[in-house]
Amino acid sequence: MSMQSIRDGAVSRPRSPVRWALAAALAAFLLVYPFLFRGFLTHIGTLVLLTVIGATGFHLILRIGLVSLGHAAFAGVGGYTSVLLMMNYGLPWIVCFIAGGVSAALMALLVGPVVLRLKGVYFVLITFTFGEIVRLVFTDWQSLTGGANGISRIPPPWPALLDTTNYYYLAFVAAAATVAFSYRLLASDFGRKMDAIRESESLAEANGIPVFAVKVAVFAIGCTLAGLQGSLQAHFIRLISPVSYSFQESLNFLVMNVVGGTHSLAGPIVGAVFLVALPESLRGWVEYQFMIYGIILIVVMATLPGGLVELWQNVVRRIGSKISRGDR
Amino acid sequence: MFTLPVLSQIVLNGITLSAIYILVALGFTLIFGVMRIINFAHGEFAMLGGFALLFLYSALNLNFFVALLLATLAVGAGSLVLEKFVYRRFYQREMPGMIASLGLSIALIYGSVVLWGTHQRSIPSAFSGIYKMGPVFITAERIAVIGVCVASLLLFYVVLKYTRMGLAMRVIAQDRATAEAQGIDTTSIYRYAFFISTAMAALAGGLIGQLFSLSPFMGHMPLVKAFIVVILGGLGSIPGAAVGGLILGLGESFVSTFYGASAAQFISFGLIIVILLFRPEGLLGRKEG
Repeated sequence: MSMQSIRDGAVSRPRSPVRWALAAALAAFLLVYPFLFRGFLTHIGTLVLLTVIGATGFHLILRIGLVSLGHAAFAGVGGYTSVLLMMNYGLPWIVCFIAGGVSAALMALLVGPVVLRLKGVYFVLITFTFGEIVRLVFTDWQSLTGGANGISRIPPPWPALLDTTNYYYLAFVAAAATVAFSYRLLASDFGRKMDAIRESESLAEANGIPVFAVKVAVFAIGCTLAGLQGSLQAHFIRLISPVSYSFQESLNFLVMNVVGGTHSLAGPIVGAVFLVALPESLRGWVEYQFMIYGIILIVVMATLPGGLVELWQNVVRRIGSKISRGDR
Repeated sequence: MFTLPVLSQIVLNGITLSAIYILVALGFTLIFGVMRIINFAHGEFAMLGGFALLFLYSALNLNFFVALLLATLAVGAGSLVLEKFVYRRFYQREMPGMIASLGLSIALIYGSVVLWGTHQRSIPSAFSGIYKMGPVFITAERIAVIGVCVASLLLFYVVLKYTRMGLAMRVIAQDRATAEAQGIDTTSIYRYAFFISTAMAALAGGLIGQLFSLSPFMGHMPLVKAFIVVILGGLGSIPGAAVGGLILGLGESFVSTFYGASAAQFISFGLIIVILLFRPEGLLGRKEG
């Protein structure tokens, strides 16, 4: 595991111009996407971009070796905060958006120092429990949250964003900023500390890394991203309810990361595309849509333990070795 | 309010719930203890058990107990196919196993939707009698449910404690490498453990169908309860699952009678947070090595 992650941690060391060319090509494609695929596909594209934000937050937490099954709860805190501030107090959207992130961050700073005392499978279990409690609060605090029915007719950030194509570009900017930020973070000194903590906490501690503080900080950053996604998504879908932030949603973040690949930042991006777009693309077989999706999930896990990113790396390696053989 | 008839009724309801929770949680904890898989499809085996019972009992008109036994065995046997094609690839690999079982859970739920639709069904009540024991009223249905649970829990205990197979399972749970070095055939023991686990889930599913209702989505409730019970008692601990199930069932029955169902949920989750913080290995679990 450790050798593997050191090698695949290459994403934090930008070496090849090819990598930059690929990123530029991807960005160009995403910019013209709404013109190539109109209507419903733009809607799906927007959802994918929004999901990338939360999935990247999950990935950061995963990079210090922790799996949080309460991730959707933080998206919920961000979503409800932002929506309630806008609908009850008429605050401008940007204030609500920031408040969504800040509320998730505060919650993470409050809960983090407690739950981060646990490790491994126990951390998974306690975050799961925390997520369930938050969902219960959303359901039972009816006067504020509208109970199980949730809140509908949420206004868009501003009227022009009622148009899906416009919202797509907002989501694009947010997702790109998130990925760029995370990329820099993972490549920085701080990112090195995160890697050290994942590989061995005691060794990191012995080398003078403030392990607990770094863990709390990473947890808070990851949860903030979830809160920001919650806010953006609430104003896009324009309907929120406790179901939007259930245990299943937290699991989806995990599935995205594992299916995409847990060792590189590309993982959650690939995973988000896979997880959001795949069920939609199976709509042709509406009846069997989720059945096929479940089976694909099993097959991917059985054949590609390193996730879809591994498939890509294998292809690249095979092409690379073919080329070098051709040279000889 | 705290009169003897009320209290004893609460205890009786609590024991019925506990019995079902324990049945579900034991299988869940067995698979985790032996194969190191958090089986997210566990609730779906309960769902399948419920539908198998519905078919055997209402459509074929078999005797209730015969139908229940056949449904249990049928789901257990059917699950071995899934064990061969899905689970076997993921043993001892916690993360991929978790995701794969999640995929299986989704596939089973929506496969059932295709077969049976989404509406709620109920298994016609097999029993109509009501008995009065002192101040307590008890329906024949509950007696049957508790009886079946207690009998199968005893059987489970005997198998695990006094047979070579049970011994092998306990050895694998403690130290797999040593178990294999001692010549234990882990593959076939895994198969037995899997069969026992899913059969118990199916049995619980049949009983849930008898007491409450059936739908392809009913697996979520038993899964969450199993989660809670297992955290309470300790992951992988068999006596822990029994104690955890009793605490959860009785506690839920008591709190929800006096303070409502959502208070019961809040308290059970709050309790878990406290236990995880101060005794993460659960009440009766052992520390992870």
